[in-house]
Amino acid sequence: MKKSKSAKVQSQQQNGHVLPFKFAKLLDPEASWDKDQLGDVLHWIRQVLGLVCGLLWGAIPLVGAIWILVFLVLSSGIIYGYYAHILKIDEEEYGGHATLLQEGLFASFTLFLLAWILVYSLAHF
Amino acid sequence: MATALSSFRYGDSLVVVGISVCTAFLCEGISWLLIYRTSTYKSLRSSIDKASKKLESMKSTSSSSAAATSGAAAGAPAASSKKPSSRAKKMDRVETSLKESTRDLSLSKFKSGAVVAGVLFVVFGLLNSLFEGRAVAKLPFSPIPLVLKMSHRGLPGTDPTDCSMVFLYFLCSISIRTNLQKFLGFSPPRGAAGAGLFPMPDPKIS
Repeated sequence: MKKSKSAKVQSQQQNGHVLPFKFAKLLDPEASWDKDQLGDVLHWIRQVLGLVCGLLWGAIPLVGAIWILVFLVLSSGIIYGYYAHILKIDEEEYGGHATLLQEGLFASFTLFLLAWILVYSLAHF
Repeated sequence: MATALSSFRYGDSLVVVGISVCTAFLCEGISWLLIYRTSTYKSLRSSIDKASKKLESMKSTSSSSAAATSGAAAGAPAASSKKPSSRAKKMDRVETSLKESTRDLSLSKFKSGAVVAGVLFVVFGLLNSLFEGRAVAKLPFSPIPLVLKMSHRGLPGTDPTDCSMVFLYFLCSISIRTNLQKFLGFSPPRGAAGAGLFPMPDPKIS
């Protein structure tokens, strides 16, 4: 059952369970999210995934266009799992799945390609 | 450093990336000087943010009240029909104001964007003269024909995995500048963006 996040009061403080760091909010299913904040978080998670996958794909190396599809499916799956199962947000309040999944997608795709090409070219030739 | 780069067969790729990074910072610096620090930009940005937030809350209020009235008994049809139409008119006004502010924001950036475009033109020309006819990287995949036109531009031979400066510079531009703008807070506001699936770095300033 999806809960409404945007109107939720942060009861942790009332219960004495104060979150010490901002980053704790990233794993807190009870936290309330502004649309812009959530969009920014998903954007940066995508960029990190793109960079890590690009470095990894290039280092192994993984060769072939199929690994582009693997990256797209993997990164989208991780983003979906994050907002649906860890943050447990109601996607309708934030513009639906398409809006959330496309946040930072193109920039992370180009970053992934750049990292993959660079590591592959420099490490294996 | 030159010795270190020459030890890599495709060390030129690092030069391309390095120049792209420097260019991105330079362009953002110029944009900040000519656009972002002006009061016009700040006030337009603020009004777009406010209008888009207001529009969102009005849309969510109207959708929740529509759900409520559809389930309610038919009590006062005349009174209930006035409220949605006045709300719709308010939403139209806010939407029009949002569009106007977005247009004004684009125009304010357009004039200064010419300077940045000039810098990019010079940098691209420089890179082209340095790396024309040379593969600067190796692609770990064979690109589709449409991409191949860019990735194999000006290169001898028929190896589809040879990567030209143009393609690498394109990837650098999109990834580095988009994230730099995002990091510095210069990316276009979401309410005005409408960028969809392929958001490019703000074209007026890059």
